Amino acid sequence: MAVHTGRGIAAIEYPTGMNQNGDPSQAWIKLKPDGRVDVFAGTSDIGNGSKTIQSQIVAETIGVPYDWVTYDNSNTDSSPVCTGTFASRATFVAGKAVEKAAERVRERILEIAGKELEIDPDDLEIVDGEVLAKGAPQKKIAVPDVAAAATWTYGELITGAGAQLKPYASIVDPETGQVDLPPHSAISYAACAAEVEVDDATGVVRVTRLVQVYDVGKAINPTLVEGQIEGGAVQGLGLGVLENCYPYYPSVENRGGEFGSYLAPGFDDLPKLDTIIIENPSADGPYGAKGIGEMANNAQPPAIAAAVFDAVGVWVTELPITPERVLRALDANAEPVRDGKRVVFDSELSVNTVSKGGITFDVPV
Amino acid sequence: MKAVGARLPRYDGIEHVTGRTTYVDDVRVPGTLWVKALRSPMHSATFSGLDTTKAEAMPGVHAVLTWEDVPLLEYGHLSALGIPADEPLLAKDEVRYKGQPIALVAAEDEDTAAAAVDTIGIEFDEREPLLDVRRAFDADAPTIHPWGNWYPHFENEMDRRQIRKGSIEEAFEKADAIVQGVYRPAAIEHVPLETQVCLAVPEANGRLTIYSCTQALYFSLGVVAAHLQVPLNKLKIVGGTVGGGFGGKVDTATETMCSLLAQKSGRPVKWRWTREEEFLCSSTRAPWHMEIADAVSKDGWILGRKMLTLHDSGAYARFSPYGLTKHSFHHTGAYTIPNLHFDGYVVFTNRVPTTAMRGFGVTSISFATETHVSRIANVLGLDPYEIRLKNANRVGDTSPNRIVYTDPSTVPVVKALAGGMGVELAAEYSAMDRGKREGDLLPAHLVEQLADPEDH
Amino acid sequence: MNLIVNGVEREIESAPLTTLLDVLREELDVTSPKAGCEQGGCGACTVLVDGEPQRACLTAVGVVDGAEITTAEGLGTPDDLSPIQQAFTHHYAAQCGFCTAGMMLAAEAYVRRGGTDDREAIQEALAGHVCRCTGYVKIIDAVAAVARGDSFDLTVTAPSQGMTNLGGVS
Repeated sequence: MAVHTGRGIAAIEYPTGMNQNGDPSQAWIKLKPDGRVDVFAGTSDIGNGSKTIQSQIVAETIGVPYDWVTYDNSNTDSSPVCTGTFASRATFVAGKAVEKAAERVRERILEIAGKELEIDPDDLEIVDGEVLAKGAPQKKIAVPDVAAAATWTYGELITGAGAQLKPYASIVDPETGQVDLPPHSAISYAACAAEVEVDDATGVVRVTRLVQVYDVGKAINPTLVEGQIEGGAVQGLGLGVLENCYPYYPSVENRGGEFGSYLAPGFDDLPKLDTIIIENPSADGPYGAKGIGEMANNAQPPAIAAAVFDAVGVWVTELPITPERVLRALDANAEPVRDGKRVVFDSELSVNTVSKGGITFDVPV
Repeated sequence: MKAVGARLPRYDGIEHVTGRTTYVDDVRVPGTLWVKALRSPMHSATFSGLDTTKAEAMPGVHAVLTWEDVPLLEYGHLSALGIPADEPLLAKDEVRYKGQPIALVAAEDEDTAAAAVDTIGIEFDEREPLLDVRRAFDADAPTIHPWGNWYPHFENEMDRRQIRKGSIEEAFEKADAIVQGVYRPAAIEHVPLETQVCLAVPEANGRLTIYSCTQALYFSLGVVAAHLQVPLNKLKIVGGTVGGGFGGKVDTATETMCSLLAQKSGRPVKWRWTREEEFLCSSTRAPWHMEIADAVSKDGWILGRKMLTLHDSGAYARFSPYGLTKHSFHHTGAYTIPNLHFDGYVVFTNRVPTTAMRGFGVTSISFATETHVSRIANVLGLDPYEIRLKNANRVGDTSPNRIVYTDPSTVPVVKALAGGMGVELAAEYSAMDRGKREGDLLPAHLVEQLADPEDH
Repeated sequence: MNLIVNGVEREIESAPLTTLLDVLREELDVTSPKAGCEQGGCGACTVLVDGEPQRACLTAVGVVDGAEITTAEGLGTPDDLSPIQQAFTHHYAAQCGFCTAGMMLAAEAYVRRGGTDDREAIQEALAGHVCRCTGYVKIIDAVAAVARGDSFDLTVTAPSQGMTNLGGVS
C-alpha cells in the first residue's frame, strides 16, 4: 500500500475556425469627430476576452492608443454577422474581420491626412494617434485633427468594413473523405506532460504537475493566453479524473444535480503549472495568430492516463480515471491479449464483446 | 508593435470587479414574467392527453406554451450544413430523453409558474430506452429515432463518416505489431457559473428584443427567426456578455421559447434555468466510444490506422454530424499516418442530446490517439518523445482528407516539451525540424502521401 | 426589517423567509451577487454580513435583519477601486466575471482577518468558490498581491505568478 508517482506526455493539434470553413465574421468601424474609434462586431465574449483582443488588433492596425477604441458587440441591430464564439475562431476569424475593417479606416485617415499635409499617403504612417511623414516626423497631423477635417471640411465619415470568410471546403468524395480545400483556417499545436501520484490503496489519482507547451502563432495578449492555458488545464484535469454526467454510463442513473455530486474542479485540485508559449505564425491570421481556446483542455487527459500507467502499471481508458476504475484495474491486473502480432487491450469494452453482432470491429490478419 | 503582444488590461475588467457587468439576469424590465417548464420524467415514452386548461386558468398565469403554438416546430440548427431537422422545440406526442421540455408556463412569479406546471395533465406510455451505443446496431435494439438508431444523412445519404487512404490491409500485413485499444471519454457538463437564461421583451412596434446568453448572437437570431417564421429584422438579440459558455450556450432554445411566450402574453418573459436544470437537462459533452488498431513497425512507425468511432448523440442530432466530421478529419492526431480506414457513426440514445463542448470532436481524438501512442511506445519499448517526433506531421505531409500540411508544429511543441521537462533527446531527434521529410524520415511507406505545399 | 447595504440603510418589504440573494437582486436591484446555483455550492452569491462571508442564497433575510451587508459594489467604485478590485484587474483574475463578486468578497474577508500571501492558505480560504474560467491561478496571484500590500499599475496586466514560464513568450 503506497503512493506511486508517474509521468506521461501527449502532443496534440487542433483546428482554428469551423470545420470546413464557410463561417463568416464581419465588423465595421467609424471614427468620432475627435478621432476616437467605434468598433461594431458581433462576437460574444464568453470570458475568453474577445472584446479585448479585437480592440487591441484595431488599435494596432490603425495606429492609435488602445484606450481610444470603443467596442460594441451588444446587439444584432448595430453589429454585423459573427457566426459565433466557438471553434476557436474569435481571434483568428473574427479578429481578422476587425483587422480588415481597421486597415480600411487607416487608409481613409491617410488619404485625408495626405490632403491636409499635401504629402502622398504612401509616405505617411500613423503612430500613437499621430499621422507622421515617414522619415520626416516633424511633418505631422494628429488623428483627431484628421477626423475633425473629415467631419467639417470634407463632409466625410471615416469608416471601414471588413469581413473574413474562408470558402467552404466540400467533401468531394464521401467514400474517402477527401476535401477540395483546407477545412480549417489554421491548425494549432500543443504538448503536455502530466505528473501524478496514485495511491494504490484508495485508487485516488492526484495530478501534481502539468507542463504545457502551446504554439499560438502570435500571442496578441500574453496575459489572456495564460488565462486560457490555466483555465484549460483545470478543465482538462476535470475531464481526466473528476467529471462525469453519468457515473454509471451508459446508465442515466445517479446523475449529479448539484455541486458536490458533480465534481467540477475546485481550488484544491490545482496542480503545479508550468508553461512554454511559442509562436510559429499562421500564414494569414491577424498578426500571425492562431486559436487556443478549445485546445487548452485536450492534452491533459491522455497525459494523465499515461502517467497513471507509469505510476501503477494499469491503463484506464474510460474517463474519468476514478479511484474505482484504478482499483478495479489493479485487481484485474490485465495483460493485453496477444494473438500473433496483435496486441489487444480493453477487449471487454469492445463492440465485439458488448454488441450482439450488430456492429463489429474486425482486424483481419 | 504597441497594442498587439502587449499585456493590456481586459476591456471590460473594471465592470467585472465593481459588480457592474450586466448579464442577462441583471437586466430589469418592468412587468417581467417568470417561466417554468413541464419536462419529461421518462427516458422514452409516447404521451397523450396533454391538458393545460387548469394551468391557463390559474391566477397569475399569463401564457402557456405547447407545440401547437410554434409556427415551425422543427428547425435544424445546422440545416445550412445539410443536417436535416429532427427535434421539435416542444414535444408533440413523444419524449426521447428525461428532461425534454413539453410545455412552458409564464406567470407573475416562479412559485406560481411552478404550481401551474404541476396542474398540467398528461398521460405517458413508457417505452424501452436505448442507452448503450454499442447495442444500437443489434437486431433486438429498440428503434428510438425515425431515422433509425444512427444518423443516415451524410453526403450521398451515407450512414457513416468514412475516411479511406492507402491500404490498411497492406499496412496490417507489413506491420511488426498491431496494437488495439478502446477509448471511452465521458459526457461532462459545461458548468458555466451563469446558468441558461433569456429575457424576451415585446416592443410596441411589433419587434421582439431578446436578451440572451448565447455564444452566437447571429446564430441564435437565425434559429429564432426560423421557428417564428419572421424576417431577421423583427428580432433584436441583445447580448455579447456571457457568464461562461464552453460550447453549451450555442444550441439554446430558450430564446425561441421566451419569444413565443412574450408574443402570447404581451409581457416581457424571463426564463432562468436552475442549477438542477443545468446539471440534469442541459446538453452535455458527448460520450465517445473509439476503437483503434494501429499497424506499427518495430522501430516505431505507425504504418496504418483502422478506427471505429461511435459518437453518443443523445436523443437528437443537434451538432453531432458536424462534430463527427471534424473528428474524422483529425483522427490521426498530430501524426502522419498514410494508410487509413476510419468509420464513424452518430448514434442516438435516450439521454439528453449532446452538443459542442470545448474541443468538440477533437478532444476525444486527442485522448484516444495520445493514450494509444503512449501504449504503443510502451509495448514496443520505445521512447515516448521519439515515437512522436518520428511520426509528427511535417511540411508536405498530407492529412487524412488529403490536405497538405504547410506549417505543422508537432516537432516544435514536442521538442519544447522535452526541453521544459529536462529531457535530453538523442542527437538524431534533437536535430529534427518540421521541414519536408527526407532521408531516414522518409521511409517507403510515407513517399506516396507527400504533396507539394505550393498546391495548397 | 432593514438592512444596511453598502453603507446605505434600506427598508425591506420582502417576507422574512425570502433569501437574502432575492432581496438584494429582486427587491433592491443590487445585482452583483449572482444566482449561480441557489444550492450553496458555488459561492457566486457570497456577500459580507457584518464583515463575514455568507451565502446569500442560503440566508433568510429575517435572520440578518439589521445587519451590514457588503457587496462588490460596496468594495469600491471605478474611480476609487479597493486593493482587491485593483488586484483582480491587474492580475487578470476575472474572465467571464460571473464568480468574481463572491470571490472578491471572500478574498476581502481573508485579507481583513490577516491572511498572508501563502498560496495554500489562500486556496483554503477560497475553497468554497467555484470558477470555471480561470483555473484559479490568477485569482490566487491577486489575493496574494493584496496580502503583500502590492500597489497596482492598472494600465497593464501582470504575468502569471502561480504558473511558471519556462520559456518562449513572456
